[in-house]
Amino acid sequence: MIEFTLNGKLVQSHDEPDTPLLWVVRDSFKLKGSKFGCGMAQCGACTMHIDGRAQRSCVMPVAAVVGKSITTIEGLGTPDNLHPLQQAWAEQGVPQCGYCQSGQIMSAAALLNENPNPSEAQVEAAMAGNICRCGCYPRIKTAILTVAEQSQPGAVQVAIPMPVSEEV
Amino acid sequence: MSGIKLTRRGFLKTTGIVGGGLLIGYVAMPGDNTPAVIPEAGAIAPNAFIQLTAENKLVFYSPRDEMGQGVYMGLTTLVAEELDVSPVDIQVEFASVHDAYRHPEYGVQGTGGSSSIRVHYLPLRQVAADTRALLLNAAAQDLAVPLSSLTTDNGHIVSNGNTYPYSDFIATADTMELPVGSPLKAKADFKYIGQDIARNDALAKSTGTAVYGVDIDLPDMHYALVSRSPVAGGTVVSFDDSAARAVNGVTDIVQIDSGVAVVAKSFWQAKKAIAALSVTWDQPALADYSSALIKADYQAAIDSGEGDSKSEGNIEEGLQLATKQVEREFWTPYLAHTPMEPVNAVVRIANGKAELWAGTQGPSTARGLVARHAQLPVENVTVHSLFSGGGFGRRTCLSHVSEATQVAVATDKTIKLLWTRENDVQNGWFRQASIMKVHAGVDSQGLVTVWDAARAGGDLTPHSISSLLPGAFASSPDWVNSMTVSALENLYDGWIIDGGGVEGLVDDYDFPNKKLRHTSVNHGLPLAPWRSVGHSFTAFAKETVMDELAEQAGIDSIDFRKRNLQGNPRLLGALEAVEQGLKDWQLAEGRHIGIAAHGSFQSYVAQAAEVSVEKGKIRVHRVLCAIDCGQVVNPAIVRGQMEGAIMYGLTAVLYGDIQIENGAVKESNFHDYKMLRINEAPAVEVIIVESDQPPTGVGEPGLPPVGPAVANAVYRATGERLTSMPLQPA
Ligand code: FES
Ligand code: FES
Repeated sequence: MIEFTLNGKLVQSHDEPDTPLLWVVRDSFKLKGSKFGCGMAQCGACTMHIDGRAQRSCVMPVAAVVGKSITTIEGLGTPDNLHPLQQAWAEQGVPQCGYCQSGQIMSAAALLNENPNPSEAQVEAAMAGNICRCGCYPRIKTAILTVAEQSQPGAVQVAIPMPVSEEV
Repeated sequence: MSGIKLTRRGFLKTTGIVGGGLLIGYVAMPGDNTPAVIPEAGAIAPNAFIQLTAENKLVFYSPRDEMGQGVYMGLTTLVAEELDVSPVDIQVEFASVHDAYRHPEYGVQGTGGSSSIRVHYLPLRQVAADTRALLLNAAAQDLAVPLSSLTTDNGHIVSNGNTYPYSDFIATADTMELPVGSPLKAKADFKYIGQDIARNDALAKSTGTAVYGVDIDLPDMHYALVSRSPVAGGTVVSFDDSAARAVNGVTDIVQIDSGVAVVAKSFWQAKKAIAALSVTWDQPALADYSSALIKADYQAAIDSGEGDSKSEGNIEEGLQLATKQVEREFWTPYLAHTPMEPVNAVVRIANGKAELWAGTQGPSTARGLVARHAQLPVENVTVHSLFSGGGFGRRTCLSHVSEATQVAVATDKTIKLLWTRENDVQNGWFRQASIMKVHAGVDSQGLVTVWDAARAGGDLTPHSISSLLPGAFASSPDWVNSMTVSALENLYDGWIIDGGGVEGLVDDYDFPNKKLRHTSVNHGLPLAPWRSVGHSFTAFAKETVMDELAEQAGIDSIDFRKRNLQGNPRLLGALEAVEQGLKDWQLAEGRHIGIAAHGSFQSYVAQAAEVSVEKGKIRVHRVLCAIDCGQVVNPAIVRGQMEGAIMYGLTAVLYGDIQIENGAVKESNFHDYKMLRINEAPAVEVIIVESDQPPTGVGEPGLPPVGPAVANAVYRATGERLTSMPLQPA
């Protein structure tokens, strides 16, 4: 049995210890937001936070996260309680097929935690591990920089009206 | 030269069939006597597309699938406009399989060809306008007021200053006839069409709550992975599964048409078991081929001068009129689609009924495949369509649905069958490789006098047909399908030219004397339409030669194209928009601009790429893109599709190359089949050309010009004309 914290809750996994965290989270804990894209730490679709750092869960054996704290996209924010990045993503129409976006947002959130005011080059460097086959890169970059800007002290918060429908 | 047949035929027809759907079109889908939508209690569904519930919720059943291209929002916007409800207040469901949801042109229920908005623009608005008219009629009766006194406002009937939800009139509407031919809104009255409204799927896709096929989780579901022949077309001779069976959690190992399937309780157990499985394959003809030999076959074919051709005007005369000539040959390789979500399918069979969960570009074909392999009538098969994590043509090929069904039948289990990324890169369908040749001339006025073009390579249509047939005719015997496909192969190999191999190669400009020749060379690697299909490579040849002709004629490359676009005002308009936009561009030291223009899927796109070349490495800094796609439904989505197509195209331009070694694909995952990443992505500026024409495609047309625009910029930077993809400066 392997114990770790998942989105703030202590959980026990009974999966074989070499099972990658991605599949434990998706199939044993039924959180499907983190995606399988390559299985070899090449695409970032499976990105989660492990003790606050963005990691590729598809190559992380569950045995390696004993006692650690894992955050997935579901733990970052929900449709009723959006993380500022999720809000920016939805307002600016970042996702196309959407499949890479949980991983993109988790990488971006880890970046902003570490560096709340990144330069464009720092955004590119931090996000280079996340492939978007639909090519949403320009919007991903803009969304991250907008959130960074809005979080700076003295920034004027501009509310962009966003149509919200939870029925998707 | 091996494996190819050459034919001597004269003037022949190019088919317009790309996806193959037209050949199958309009065969009745059996089992569609039942209504498409059965409304819930207290609701009405006046047609197959709209349901109005007692809570005044409008549900739209989308006949087309969403793979990122934006129809989930775009088609909903059409319905919203005429229903007079905000599109974000409409609940969207993917339609079941039913005659009512066929693609109006393809005959089957499928999504592709950048056609969804174009073919549904009027029909869906009409359905919605008729529905609104029905509600108005019912309201007039219930409120006992003249119809002309009523209006609507965001899901409500307005009468004498009072507003009533549409749902107040369900009972009466249910007794009335649905009006037909109700007037549609004039453009000036549009509230939603043409507006930048955030996509209705963006929130779900930003919170991990959008559901894709891979997310389906059913009780007692087992994972299946398949070991397939490394060489396409190979079959199982024998296999040893003793080690695989010893892996914890493995429940079944079964042979299916495409190989050997391992079934286990978890993905990871199945993955370990697949690695422990040992399969011996027979070697199909393709096993004798590697990339170099395939290319040599194409070269021999194009050099032979043989093949099918068609021409207009007189090539000899055109050559005589030319003061300068250009002759170039181009190579474009095989490519994989690599959608972000590898293909997968969940199949459950119980009590004589089957269910499929999958995101596809062809739910009706998928239904037929389940029926075929489960030996059930199609009426007993339900398809649950889901969001697709990218399509790009790959989800027109549905062998994974057949595989999942075969495994479910053989094991009597509910199966989730998943292709790994390695399967996706190595065992799938590919963009055709091609050699193209263009011989062209220009006169002293800068007008092109002659355009003589040829292509050698594989034919797409027989592959499309062979993947569509078994699902379109779920109960036809396999031998009938194989006969049909081989008849088709013969047809393309010497009778007609496969449109998907040459589209765009002799088009767009005012070429007075032109010729198109095609030689089919097929080696057996499965081929599929890949975002923008033939245009994805023909634009490279066409626009590179146009650039060189401009240089030969001593005319600016935009000016030169404009002179030769007099018969194509909309492509001319897009090019002029780029010319205008470029006026604001400051060009930094060492940066160069390349131009290309290309029409595809009835839309018109011109692009300028700003490029530098340092130590042999190409860097694309900015792309300016102008599109004329007629009436725009959602400008943010149009811009997004241009951005996305440019990035997708750039992956091919800078990296894309599927190599064949002894018949097998060498690349396997993103470490050796590289994708463009954010640090290599250019800034993109999109200009949408104002137009009153009906809407046309946006998913694909943004892609074809980017390759030649970059290649033409590289020429300005280095003086070297690159004629092979991916682009590799010396
Ligand atoms: S699935 Fe983990 S990096 Fe691709
Ligand atoms: S949105 Fe489709 S892969 Fe990123």
